[in-house]
Amino acid sequence: MKNYYLRRFKGFAAIVLLFLPIWMQAQSVAITGVVKEAANGLPIPGVNVLVKGTSVGTTTDMDGNYTIQAKPGDDLVFSFIGFQAATIKVTSSRTINVSLKEESSVLSEIVVVGYGSSTKKEITGATSQVDGVELKKLNLSRVDQALQGQVSGVTINSNSGSPGGSSNIRIRGLSTFGDNDPLILVDGIVYDSEGLNALNPADIESVNVLKDGTAGIYGVRAANGVIIIETKKGKLNTKPQIEFSGFYGMQETTNRLSLLNANEYAIIKNNAFVNAGQTAPFNNTQLGEGTDWQNEIFQVAPMQNYNISINGGTNKTRYSIGGSYYTQDGIVGLDKANFTRYNARFNVSYELSTKFRINSVLLYTNENRRSLPENGIGSVLYNTINAYPTEPVRQTDGRYSYLELVNDIINPVAQMENTYNESAVNKLVGKEELVYTINENFTFTNRFNYNAAIVDGKVFSPLVWYGPGKAQNTAVNADLDAPRVEIADSIFLERGASVYENRDYYVDLNFESFLNYERQINREHKVKGTLGTSVFTRSGSGLNATAFNVPNNSVDFADISANQAEGGFLNNAGSFEFEERLVSAFLRAEYSYLNRYLFSAIVRRDGSSKFGANNRWGIFPAFSGAWVFSDESFFDVSFIDFGKLRMSYGISGNDQIPNFAYRALLNGEGVYVLDDLITSGVAIGRASNPDLKWETTHQFNVGLDLTILKEISFAMNYFVKNTNDLLFQPDVSGLLGTYGPGGFPPFVNAGDVSNRGLELELGYSTDPTKDWVFSTSFNMTQLTNEVLRVPDGVDFIPGAQFGVGGNVATRFEVGQPIGYYIGLQTDGIFQSQQEIDNSSVVQAGARPGDLRYVDQNGDGVISFGDDSDRTKIGSPIPDFTFGLNLTGRYKNFDASCNLYAAVGQEIIRNYERQQPYANQLTYIIDRWTGPGSSEDIPRVTTGATRNNVFSDYFVEDGSFLRIRNLQVGYTLPRKWLTRQKVESMRVYVSVNNLYTLTNYQGFDPDIGNFGGVLAAGVDYGFYPQARTIMGGFNIKF
Amino acid sequence: MAIKRYTTVILTALALSLTNSGCEKYLDVSPPFAQDAENYFNSEQDYELALIGAYDLLQASYLTLWIGEIASDNAIAGGESVNDSEGLHQIEAMTHNAVNNELRSIFRWNYAGIARTNFIMEYKDKTDFDGKEQIIGETRFLRAYYYFELVKYFGDVPLIIDKRLGSEEVTEVARTPRSEVYAQIESDLRYAANNLPWNNPVKGKAEKGSALALLGKVYLYQNKFAQAAEVLDEVINDGPYSLMANFGDLWFAANEDNSETVFDVEYSNLEGGSYGCLICLEGNAAAGFQGIRQYEGPLYGDGNSYNLPTADLYNAFPVNDPRRDITVLNLDSFINLQPDPGSISYAVGGGGHTGFYNNKYIKRQSELGLPDDDLTSPLNYKAIRYADVLLMAAEAHTRSNNDGPALTYLNEVRARVGMPAVNASGQQLTEAIWQERRYELSGEGLRFFDLVRTGKAATSIDNFTSGKNEIFPIPQVEIDLAGGSWTQNSGY
Repeated sequence: MKNYYLRRFKGFAAIVLLFLPIWMQAQSVAITGVVKEAANGLPIPGVNVLVKGTSVGTTTDMDGNYTIQAKPGDDLVFSFIGFQAATIKVTSSRTINVSLKEESSVLSEIVVVGYGSSTKKEITGATSQVDGVELKKLNLSRVDQALQGQVSGVTINSNSGSPGGSSNIRIRGLSTFGDNDPLILVDGIVYDSEGLNALNPADIESVNVLKDGTAGIYGVRAANGVIIIETKKGKLNTKPQIEFSGFYGMQETTNRLSLLNANEYAIIKNNAFVNAGQTAPFNNTQLGEGTDWQNEIFQVAPMQNYNISINGGTNKTRYSIGGSYYTQDGIVGLDKANFTRYNARFNVSYELSTKFRINSVLLYTNENRRSLPENGIGSVLYNTINAYPTEPVRQTDGRYSYLELVNDIINPVAQMENTYNESAVNKLVGKEELVYTINENFTFTNRFNYNAAIVDGKVFSPLVWYGPGKAQNTAVNADLDAPRVEIADSIFLERGASVYENRDYYVDLNFESFLNYERQINREHKVKGTLGTSVFTRSGSGLNATAFNVPNNSVDFADISANQAEGGFLNNAGSFEFEERLVSAFLRAEYSYLNRYLFSAIVRRDGSSKFGANNRWGIFPAFSGAWVFSDESFFDVSFIDFGKLRMSYGISGNDQIPNFAYRALLNGEGVYVLDDLITSGVAIGRASNPDLKWETTHQFNVGLDLTILKEISFAMNYFVKNTNDLLFQPDVSGLLGTYGPGGFPPFVNAGDVSNRGLELELGYSTDPTKDWVFSTSFNMTQLTNEVLRVPDGVDFIPGAQFGVGGNVATRFEVGQPIGYYIGLQTDGIFQSQQEIDNSSVVQAGARPGDLRYVDQNGDGVISFGDDSDRTKIGSPIPDFTFGLNLTGRYKNFDASCNLYAAVGQEIIRNYERQQPYANQLTYIIDRWTGPGSSEDIPRVTTGATRNNVFSDYFVEDGSFLRIRNLQVGYTLPRKWLTRQKVESMRVYVSVNNLYTLTNYQGFDPDIGNFGGVLAAGVDYGFYPQARTIMGGFNIKF
Repeated sequence: MAIKRYTTVILTALALSLTNSGCEKYLDVSPPFAQDAENYFNSEQDYELALIGAYDLLQASYLTLWIGEIASDNAIAGGESVNDSEGLHQIEAMTHNAVNNELRSIFRWNYAGIARTNFIMEYKDKTDFDGKEQIIGETRFLRAYYYFELVKYFGDVPLIIDKRLGSEEVTEVARTPRSEVYAQIESDLRYAANNLPWNNPVKGKAEKGSALALLGKVYLYQNKFAQAAEVLDEVINDGPYSLMANFGDLWFAANEDNSETVFDVEYSNLEGGSYGCLICLEGNAAAGFQGIRQYEGPLYGDGNSYNLPTADLYNAFPVNDPRRDITVLNLDSFINLQPDPGSISYAVGGGGHTGFYNNKYIKRQSELGLPDDDLTSPLNYKAIRYADVLLMAAEAHTRSNNDGPALTYLNEVRARVGMPAVNASGQQLTEAIWQERRYELSGEGLRFFDLVRTGKAATSIDNFTSGKNEIFPIPQVEIDLAGGSWTQNSGY
């Protein structure tokens, strides 16, 4: 075999050599030499040797020898895959021996893809990698927070700035109505995004994001993209290295709202009451500053984190062991919003024999999170914004003030004090993997993955009196008497302080088996194949109940076991149980010719228990190819060292819907009161749809990767991603009877969404061995989201409501981005009665100083009751997002900066309670008070007004640029450390969220969605991210 | 060799895994501990439980209590602002159109109730047991109740009986003429009346009298006076009902299930709830919503100032009629009668203020439920009470030219509250009975439908358009979802 190829090769070379001289100019001379590897001096066959600027070229033979005709002064270019090209000028010497260095680590970097690995150079799909070091640098509690702005095509919004708050991860936009979370795999183990709190970012070695159709190796779960996270591993034959790092930081809020002080408030409110024909409530408006409720709830909160890890290996074993402690208090609520996490990690690989290796990964997490009511009417910040400044925090008798003038708004300080809400998670994630190297071509991997979590929750609700008429009261009066409820004739039950507890248990079990084949045939052909199968089961169960009459109204006794209700009476006891299964087989074939032409094909077949027997199985194919054009002999752009064109097309699925949606179950709510007792019956719950199937995403991607002047890397992708057969529950006809309590419309496949976008990644770094080192990376994502189809008979799917009982402000509608805002458009302010009378458009109830709305349909009347005058007034989806990392080092000093920007999205200001006495933002000072006084802010009034109808007056530009991290470090000189047996030590100071440039008036423009995709961009008083000043160290022994 | 064999085994196994033999079974996961709708009705208890589910939708009555008043001359919408439940404000102003969330709820919830009764009827022959007639009787009573609501609101509505509708069938369903729906309602109520006992020991269940009284009302709405008089007489003569001695006692939770109760919608204060799902509540949302905004003072709890009675209603009562102050709370005069009026405070909502509150269904401190007590009132909705039966019977008799019993019944109602007997006849008597209905039944959600039924709506309700506003528009979205082939009610 070998000889055959050798012979052919030699023959080919001979022919080339034979004909070359014909084209040569007379004065050329024959140059000969040997090309060797710089690292080990071994000859390299097949190296391209080219006279630069000509088509004269040859390749080296099996012993690395070449002969080429060139004249002095010519440049010879030596290039070979995996090595840096070398250019050498021909001088008088007839012999030129060359040592080629292995290519910069970037291109040869191993990238973990599904069920195998590849290199950056060979990869054919659209992927983005992030080094664990970059993620750790930000000192954030969650990897998704740290990923924001690091890679193109991945948009991450924080759902809350509270410690442990989750994020929305969107790879290439919103593609579905339901679950848009990508598939997240940690060392190959499925890890849902909710559970990311458990993962310590410091344990991460690398992150690879599969963005395009090549994610299809994960089939029915890959439609939202895949994030592959690898944790740290040891190296063979390395002495143990101990690394200890930590930081301590103080956090404060990034922003405060500009709210009215007592004096301003009194003036505005007098004006509002008088405008409604009522008596001005404040005889004296000289009330000074009054209470600044934001001062009362925002505090400086500490956080700290310590990590220790030991990495190393013997000749047979590799290990990486680590532990960490992380704790963070909230800038609202301090320890009432604390998040604390302990991690232990054990990652060992053992060579049983030359053929067998065992990889064992074990990640244990214990996390505790406390939280306050957030992001809604009744949340602490919503109450803070609306609490009025003329009320003290406490009355003279020491009790918390009641804020009696406002409905539903309670004293936020009292609210924080009386909130006890905590959850604890114990999570064990791991795998046992046996890798059998059958021969040099075949590797067979069997692994068993598990992810088990016990989630405990406890909510203690003490008896509390927030003031007369407050819905949040649990006591019946200020003396904290418990409500007594008559449950039968003259039998009373006391409902004292209560405690709700739940314990849920989730287990994923996954067995995977796959065979990898890899063969390099004579430097020209490389064939890779993967064939495998996966069986996945997720099950869970939970128990929950509420107990009343907690002793002493005290959190110290807040446990079901301590409940003093008669007979241990529990309320609302419940339980759940579920199991879902996925069976899969997958095949991937890859072929490359000369490492220059690369092809890959994937097919996966999935069977999911989420669907009925008729639609259970799906087949998901993907194809991709790449062309390393810089390796072509004709390619002659001297400043481009590496260039690759990529293209891919693939189909993947999304099965993220509730279990058993395909069948009708009697799980509705059929409860009535009979004999004065609440009596449960049965009722049909969600209507069934036996024909339910997965959503399908078709994605096309074309990309370009370049390395320019050795120091600049460039990657660009353009993609079109169409998701069809969206799974959701659109409204159905009321005749079906699904709108009873506990009833829901059926899930159907009805809707299409398109995402198109452009992604750009740029990197630049100078030689890391120099004194001055500078590197930067920049990424940009442009995205256009559009709904292409909604279910039959439905014009749109309504989303979030504006205000209290107000219009639906967001929609899912054809031709618009998902969750776009619809409302009235304003056109200034009516300055006078005359202007209203003369207006060609009738606006019912308009008074001077009111917002003037645009008559969209031109019928001469502003219709408040229907859609005819409503129009698009914003979208929560940014047009562009940008990320920028800057790193510089001079000798022992280093500095870095991370910026993130999102541009073009809007936010709905929905945190203002439209009540006569609720506090307001200071922009209202510039309100309309008479002709010519304002062109954009309407008059204030407590009377009937249409100014509170949802319009663009409540929509603000949400664009922002944020300095996410700024850091300065110093690495101690080695000579100071040798005596302490310390190998290296770095200390640093760092600031997170130093500055945010935005016009948005709310707490934080970086807001995600709290209640489904259609709630995106609706701000109820978002828990802002903290500005954190940290000092930290990193020691290696 | 060994390796080769091993490899063969692996490859065979992998190849097999690509086919689905064996895997199919693995994917057949059954929902744990859940009942499948297609495999139900195997015992008497199964029917009983499904029947409870069918009763559940009665609790949507808070909404009809609002609309029946707000659409009439009796009340305004109120609330926090004019955007707060905007649909009610439009109904108040008679500017409502086919886009109205409240009307859509009426449509959807009544059909949800109908679907639950039809689920039982679909399987009524599956399992036999003693006493099944009573379960079917209650089921048919409920179906009639829900259809009657729909006919009152929307006129012609699709009539679906004895089966659950599949989603693909929706577009084939047309609006059934009102008369045919009425025929089905009558048939259901006849069956119910024939199969239900006068007394059901379980409080809250429909009885023979409930079915007959509702049937009488259904006849009255169709101007079938003789038939109405006949069935209502049966309720009066053979039923166990009588007026409560004291009109004011009727409105307290403690006095429920009394001699005047013909059919109550039952509520409880034992379960909390949220604004997110008012139909899921076990409490009566009307009482809390109709409460006084930010009220701090004796007797009453605070609420959301919905469904506020008008001065027109308050002033309609003779000054000496005790029902005025029992029906309408004149808040300022109430406060002024208290020992320390200065300590009592309340707020005015941006959705309108009349100074009056619905005193029959209002949050009282003695009747609070679990938090949030705006939503957990135990006050039953008195869907049909004996005074209504008497006045309906009086009307049926006088309009079928039989003034004798009419006067007796009318004066029985008046005597209870110490009002002098009326002596009139013919049209004058009819007018007196209609007037009496306003005094006796205001604040109970009947007024709008009475005005429409008696042809008085146009003269009593501002902005009422004859030939249009007698019925409400079918929600446009329901027309669309049903395939768009239904014709909208005229004028909308």
